Amino acid sequence: MKNLSVLLKGEVDRLRKYHILAASLLVAFIWIGVMQLTEIDDVTGIFPLFLFLDATSMSMVLIGVSMFFEREENTLKAIFVSPVTKKEYISAKIIGNILSNMQTLVLLYLYAWIFKEININILTLVVYVILISIFHSLIGFLLAYHTKSFTELLTGMIMFMFVLLIPVVLEEVGIITVEWLRNVLYLLPTKAALLLLNSTSAMSTVKTWEVAYGVGYLILSSAVLLVFIRRGFEVFLAKESGI
Amino acid sequence: MFKVENLEFCYPKNKENTIKGVDFEIEQGEIFGLLGPSGVGKSTTQKILIKILKDYQGDIYYKGKNLKEYGQEFYEEIGVGFEIPVHFSKLTAMENLNFFQKLYKNQNNIEELLKRVGLYEDRNKKVAEYSKGMKVRLNFVKALLNHPTMLFLDEPTAGLDPKNARIIKNLIREYKEGGGTVILTTHLMNDVEELCDRVAFMAEGKIVEVDSPKNLKIQHGQRVVDVEFEYNGGSETEAFKLDGLKEDARFFEVVKNHRIITMHSKENTLDDIFIQLTGGDMYEKS
Repeated sequence: MKNLSVLLKGEVDRLRKYHILAASLLVAFIWIGVMQLTEIDDVTGIFPLFLFLDATSMSMVLIGVSMFFEREENTLKAIFVSPVTKKEYISAKIIGNILSNMQTLVLLYLYAWIFKEININILTLVVYVILISIFHSLIGFLLAYHTKSFTELLTGMIMFMFVLLIPVVLEEVGIITVEWLRNVLYLLPTKAALLLLNSTSAMSTVKTWEVAYGVGYLILSSAVLLVFIRRGFEVFLAKESGI
Repeated sequence: MFKVENLEFCYPKNKENTIKGVDFEIEQGEIFGLLGPSGVGKSTTQKILIKILKDYQGDIYYKGKNLKEYGQEFYEEIGVGFEIPVHFSKLTAMENLNFFQKLYKNQNNIEELLKRVGLYEDRNKKVAEYSKGMKVRLNFVKALLNHPTMLFLDEPTAGLDPKNARIIKNLIREYKEGGGTVILTTHLMNDVEELCDRVAFMAEGKIVEVDSPKNLKIQHGQRVVDVEFEYNGGSETEAFKLDGLKEDARFFEVVKNHRIITMHSKENTLDDIFIQLTGGDMYEKS
């Protein structure tokens, strides 16, 4: 892993230069704006939802978009004729993503702590955000493998939001109340993610088994995804080299 | 340096092999040209040699060791110059080169290389602002970042004006004089003639001929000399066989008694040999 730090620094530099990090910051400021505009003084209850949207969708978007640029500019080819391993490459991308998520978390938390009331277990929250970010970054890799154009990438992201994200948010805000549908949502990784984030709040009603389920789901599915992503990487690279 | 034995490769979705039993050797310190029309397998061969494609049959040895036994350390020793630009367009040339160079243990002098290819003044410009020719020169510098012992170059002078093409060719020659080995893929036969010690012509997944450009020209040319001379107020051309020329009385009669206008041996050009050997045209199909 000798090149990890070089790749990570390059990753963060490029996220900045390609304005991807700025887009992530903008989203964080939108959430700050939402907190500011609400009449609620104690944001403990809604805070996990903001992080949920960032750690799930933004993680996937950052990987998808950064790999899209690398494909467009053929720099992936150049990286893989240098002494870089796929483990280093994948790790650098995921850590870059986690750093971006942490940036959002720190900004939102500082705002809430200074201007509002918040009572959450911040250390546990950090751990859960990392776990969620890893899983959704891996989804981002899958998306990059299976899309050929920006339009396809965008379609994939929209599909993710409709299938995995929106139903969970609708349940969270009380629009989905049907019991069987709520139970079906447990099949979604996004439900596992939201349960974990909610569990860090002092107002949490998340049960212990739900936390165990959430942690187990994300760790196991990340491990399975990682196997597929590492295997698929050779095929992806070969395709990128013009096959 | 490289020894390729009975190399075969089939792309996953193809029924037929793209590479059909290729054998060749590349000596240390030589410039080896890999030539042929599009689709005959030269890019595939290059991709196998730089370990991008791995599921091949046959054996490849690099410095006497099977290529499959090399890990990422192989890339410490090679430099790859792509035909297409491979840079982050929103980063400057210097930022690009610094990023890639830090991935290697061996490090060349970037500023010196940029000066040599005429990009030093523009080193802090974003690559997006570079012209096509500038990107080609930057590709070349990128290939040399790690002081490689083996260089793979794909069309290194494509899109360059004659002055800049000359600079790149001089650098390739200097690299070889310093003990470096080069595999060159190009459609520009002038480059091949100027640079390559040996060339391999590929057709339909096989190597059909390997030799020096000079030998190929002799081998595939007619051993004849055309003499154009002044005759009866006009001019006339006669062809004489090179074999037995010193006993050819008619040749000496022409040379002694007429003013010679031109005299050319009739070896083929590499362009002719390319078409003759590969049965293909000189242009990319796609």
